[in-house]
Amino acid sequence: MGSALICASLVGLIILTLIGQTGPVLSGHFSSLWGTVWNPNTDQYGIIPMLYGSIIVMLIAMAIALPLGVLTAIYIAETRSARLRGIMKSALEVLAGIPSIVYGLIGVAYVSVWVAKGLDLQTGRLILTAGIILAVMILPTILTLTEDAISNVPEIYRENARALGLYRHEVIKDVVLPHAKRDILAAALLALGRALGETMAVMLVIGSLDRLPSPLFNLLSSGQTITSKLGREIGESAFGSAHFSALVLMGLILVLITLALTAAAQWLIHRAPREAAHV
Amino acid sequence: MFSRAAKEHVFAAATRIALFISIGILAFLLGAIILRGLSALSLDFLFTPSRSFGSSGGIAYQILGSLLTAITAGLIATPVALGASVYRSEYMTSQRARRIFDLMLYGLNGVPSIIFGLFGLILFVNIIGTGLSWFVGGIILAVMMLPTATLATVNAMRGIEKNYRENALALGLTREQTALRIIIPQSLHGLVTGVLIGLARAIGETAPIMFIATAFSGATVPTSLHEPVATLPTHILALAQQAADPAALKNAWGASFTLIALVALFSLAAFFARARLSPYSRR
Amino acid sequence: MLLSRRRAAILALSFSAACGLLACGGADKSNTVSISGSTTVLPAISRAADDYSMQKDIKIIVNAGGSGGGFKQLAEGQTDIGMMSRDITQGEMDAFADHIFTSVIIGRDAVAPVVSAEIYDAGVTALSFAQITDIYMGRVDNWSDVGGPDRPIFVIDKAAGSGTRQVFAQIVFGDKTALAAGADLVIGSNNEEQTAISQSDSAIGMLSFAWINDDVRALAIATPNGNVEANIDNVNTGAFPITRDLVIVIREDVSPAASQFVNFMLSPEGQKHVADSGYLSVSK
Repeated sequence: MGSALICASLVGLIILTLIGQTGPVLSGHFSSLWGTVWNPNTDQYGIIPMLYGSIIVMLIAMAIALPLGVLTAIYIAETRSARLRGIMKSALEVLAGIPSIVYGLIGVAYVSVWVAKGLDLQTGRLILTAGIILAVMILPTILTLTEDAISNVPEIYRENARALGLYRHEVIKDVVLPHAKRDILAAALLALGRALGETMAVMLVIGSLDRLPSPLFNLLSSGQTITSKLGREIGESAFGSAHFSALVLMGLILVLITLALTAAAQWLIHRAPREAAHV
Repeated sequence: MFSRAAKEHVFAAATRIALFISIGILAFLLGAIILRGLSALSLDFLFTPSRSFGSSGGIAYQILGSLLTAITAGLIATPVALGASVYRSEYMTSQRARRIFDLMLYGLNGVPSIIFGLFGLILFVNIIGTGLSWFVGGIILAVMMLPTATLATVNAMRGIEKNYRENALALGLTREQTALRIIIPQSLHGLVTGVLIGLARAIGETAPIMFIATAFSGATVPTSLHEPVATLPTHILALAQQAADPAALKNAWGASFTLIALVALFSLAAFFARARLSPYSRR
Repeated sequence: MLLSRRRAAILALSFSAACGLLACGGADKSNTVSISGSTTVLPAISRAADDYSMQKDIKIIVNAGGSGGGFKQLAEGQTDIGMMSRDITQGEMDAFADHIFTSVIIGRDAVAPVVSAEIYDAGVTALSFAQITDIYMGRVDNWSDVGGPDRPIFVIDKAAGSGTRQVFAQIVFGDKTALAAGADLVIGSNNEEQTAISQSDSAIGMLSFAWINDDVRALAIATPNGNVEANIDNVNTGAFPITRDLVIVIREDVSPAASQFVNFMLSPEGQKHVADSGYLSVSK
C-alpha cells in the first residue's frame, strides 16, 4: 500500500535530496574538499577536520562507554540480586528517554567546567569533553543491550563450566562472552551510530574550531564534528550556494556511514543461528 | 603469571568498580536534572511567556509549541505506520520483500536527527517553498517516528496467533476483511504503544526542527500553517548558549525538567496503553 | 482492494491539501512580521518588538542566525526584515541580483578587543592592531610578548558568518576573509563569547560594546598617536576605529506591517530600545 511505499522509500528520498544539493561544491570546488582549510569566504571547503573530529569523538566515547558498559552489564547480569537488576533497568529506561539537548546542557554546565578546572585549562570546550558527554549518552544503550545479550546466554553453559571447576571470570570470559559476542557487537555498532550522529550534545561543548588539532591526537584542543558544523552553519548559508552544498555533502557522508553501520548491525543480528560454543 | 585466583579477584573488582562508576554517573544525571529543574519550576514559569531571551519569564509558548508539533507528528505517523504494517503483514508474502522493508525502516531509524532537519529544509522549506512552518516540523518528526511506530505494530501483528488467520480464511473472509476486523484490532496496542514511544522521542528532538519550524522569540500561537513556533528543546538550546547568566541557566533547567516530564508522560501513556489495550488473548 | 484504495485516496487527498495550503501561502500574514539575523542587533530589535507588539497587536517573530543568515533568509523571502551588523557583501548582492535591498541604519555599535579581567589587571590595557593581528594569526602566543604575564594566550575567535567578526577582521587584520590561524576556540554568539572570556584567565576575544562587563575588559587601541580608549565618546568622535552600523534590511516588496516597524525603530521610542541595549542611537 501507499504507506508501505512511503516508509520504504523515505531513506532513498532523503539520500537523493541530499545528493541533489551537492552539485555546486562538487563541480566548482572539488579539490578544496579534501583539504583541511574551511573558509567559505575564500571558497575553501576542506571537510577533513570535521570528518576527523566526528571519528575521534566517537572513538573517545566508545573507549569510555564500551568497557564501562560491558563490565557493568556483566555484573548486573551475573548478580543474584533481582532487585539490583530491576532498579538498574528502570533507571536505564528513564535515562534512555532524556533528550540530547539536556545532555548538552549538562555538558555546558557541568562537564566542561569540570574538565577545565580539573585539567587547569582555559576552556572546557574540547574534543575530550565532547567524547565524555557522548559516552554518558550512549552508556544506557550499551548497558541495556549488553545486559540483555549476556542474560540471554542459556544457564546451562554456565552450569557446565562451573561444574568443570572454572572460576567466574573464566566462565564469563571463555564461555558466556563468546556466546553473546554477536549481540554485544551489534549493540556496539548501534551505539557507534548514535555517537556519530549526535548533534546537540556535541555542538555545545566542542569549541567549533575547524582545524585539525596539532599534534593530531591532542584531545585537549577544541575541534569540530560534522554534526556540530551542520548545526551551526546551516542557518547561515544560502540555499544553493557552494557553502550550502559543501555542508550537504558532509551530511551525505555522515548518512552513508550510519546506514552502513545500521546494515552491519542488522546483518549481525540476523545471521544463521549460532553453533554451540565449545567449552 | 598471575594465578587464576588472583585474576578472579581482579576481575570481580573491575566489575564492581564499573558498576559503581555507572551508578554514580546515572545517579548524578538524574539528580542534577531533578534538583536543578525543580528549583526553577513554578506555576508562573509554566504559564507565562518568555522574555529577554528566556532569561526571565516562563515557557508557556514553548510548551504549547512542543505539544503542537508532537501531536501533529503523531496524527500523521499513525495512519502511515498502520497502513505500512498491515501491508507488510498481510500483503507482503515474500520473506525477501519483508527483509528489505525492515532494513529500510532500520536504516531510517539510524539516520542522524540533524539530517532529518536538513532534509526538511531542502525539500519543504526551499523546494516546495513553505518557509518556517510548525506543520512541516510535525511532518519531519512524523518521519522520524515512523520506524518506531511501524516496527512496534509489525511486532504486534507478528504475535497474532496463526489460528486467527486460519480461522478467518476458513470462514471465507477476504484479505482486507481479515485485516480490518481481526488483525488491526489485535495489534492496536502495538500501534498505540509505538506511536507514544515515538512521540516521547520526538518531543525531545532539537536538530530536526531547529531550522524549519522554530523561532526564538515572538512566536506565540500560530494562526496559519506557515508560522514557526517556539519549542522546549530549541529554547533550552538558546538558554544553554547563555550559560554565564545564572538566570538563563536556571530557566534552562526548568525547561529541561518540563521537557523530561513531558517525555515521561508519553512513556507512561505508552506503558498503560500496552497494559490496557493488549488483547485478552495475550494477557 | 476497495478499502486500501479508499484509504490511499484519503491519505493522498489530505496530504496534497496540506501541501497546497503550505505552498500557496499561509492565511493572514499581514499581522505578522518576521525578523531574523545578527545576534548583535537582536537585543535591540527584541526589546522594541516586545514593546511594539503590545501596542499594536501585531505579532513579531524574532530569530537569531547571524548577519549572514539573516540576509539569506530575507533574500529568500523567508523573513520580512533582516538584521545585520555589517554591510551586505558584493557576493551576497550578486547571488540575489533580482532584488533590491534597502539597509536602514538603526544604531551604531563598536567592537572592542577584549581580554580577561586578570590580564587587564596584570597590565595589558592597550594593544596595537599589529599586535592583535599577530596574536590571532598565531605569530605571538604568550602574553609576556606583549607586556603581560607569562601565560599562553587563549585566543577566542568568532564564527565566520558573524558580523562582529567580519568588521573586526576587516579593520584589525585588514582582510575580511582572513582565517585566524592562532585561534583556540570559536564561538557563535556574543553571549557565548562573553561567557568564554569570563571563564578564562588569559583570553583575548572580540566583543560588541553592549556585552562588556566587569569580567570582560576592553583594550584600548595603541596607535602611534597614543591609546584610544574603547568608550562611547571615542566612538562618537570617530576616534575609535572598530565601529559598524547596525542595520535592518528590507526588500523592495516589504509588507506594510514590516515597514511600520522599521519606522518605529527610527522613532525616539525605538531608539530608546537601541540605547537600552547598550548601543548608540542614530536619529536625533
